[in-house]
Amino acid sequence: MQYSDDGKERRITQLRKGILELAVMGVLYQGRHYGYSLVRVLSEAGSISLKEGTVYPILGRLDRDGLVRSEWVESDQGPPRKYYALTAAGRRLFDELSQEFTLLASLVQQKWRAPEPVEPARKIVVRKE
Amino acid sequence: MDNYSDVVARIANDYMDRVKAQLRSVPPGEQDEFLKEIRSHLYEAYQQTPGEDDVARILVVLRNFGEPADVVADRLPGKLVRSGAQRNVPLYVIGGIFIALFGLPLGAGAVGVLIGLLGALAGIVVAYFASVGSVLLVGALFMLLGLVRWFLPHAWDQLVTIGIIRFNDTPGDFFDNLPPAEQGLLLIVVASVLIAAGLGGLWLGKRLLVGMRFLLTLAFDWLRRLAQGARRSLRGGEQPHAKAQRVHPTT
Repeated sequence: MQYSDDGKERRITQLRKGILELAVMGVLYQGRHYGYSLVRVLSEAGSISLKEGTVYPILGRLDRDGLVRSEWVESDQGPPRKYYALTAAGRRLFDELSQEFTLLASLVQQKWRAPEPVEPARKIVVRKE
Repeated sequence: MDNYSDVVARIANDYMDRVKAQLRSVPPGEQDEFLKEIRSHLYEAYQQTPGEDDVARILVVLRNFGEPADVVADRLPGKLVRSGAQRNVPLYVIGGIFIALFGLPLGAGAVGVLIGLLGALAGIVVAYFASVGSVLLVGALFMLLGLVRWFLPHAWDQLVTIGIIRFNDTPGDFFDNLPPAEQGLLLIVVASVLIAAGLGGLWLGKRLLVGMRFLLTLAFDWLRRLAQGARRSLRGGEQPHAKAQRVHPTT
């Protein structure tokens, strides 16, 4: 039976949803970013493209949970930009989450040993005396 | 808006209005700051997008940015965000009433008919095997009587005297004209025919059971599909809300 494309897409989306937040934290771990620059870094680093607006709900969640702080900075190339940086709590959480992620990734990529081949059952013939 | 041409500004403003419409329940200060941030992003993305056609450039920017509902997800209190597909609540209520009035009674009626049919089929099976059993029983009785007539004629006479065995009319006359051994043989032949018919009936009954089992499997499969369809319909009613809270990165 062939698995439906809808089901596959739904699972891929769920998988990315969790990992994208970690990826955003990873980028901010290296330095502060504003929304557009964050998207550019993520797009250039990975082979996946993403809807740019997707990062804003993530940034909103991180901000609400006190994991990032933000500040407006004037730009000479256009409107002011809102920069985000991880707080101390955010950095600690990222350290823990990235360790957890490494463990999970190694679990998925593990080369599992193939099961022992099972001998086919032998037919027993009972002769009546 | 910023340094856009008129047409591009109109397209960008229209998009910002759609984002703003999604932010109705967000406090005004927070709303303004978020819109300012989105505006800044769109402007920079527009500047970085190559191309001669301004309209095509802004459309590419907006397409890459995503739907307003997805962008404002998690900004709303209590996650009130909805996807582009809006739910029409009165229509759902009317649909529910129609299902309650017509769908459920019809469904219950169909299930009733199905149960009745299954009951009738079970009755046919029981009646068939009862008939086959009777034929076998009569065959066995004739065999016993034939053996008695052939090998124990005195016992036969006693059974006739006390009225357990009686032959009337034409079969009785025909039977009385035969010698005892032939009477016994005739009874054994009739018994053999009956037993053979009974055994043939049992063999056919096995086929009948297989057919009935097939029909039952079909009926239960149909019921299972009916239940699954109903369950999917119920789940389908909850999907728009779940979809609204999803983040949509695309490949």
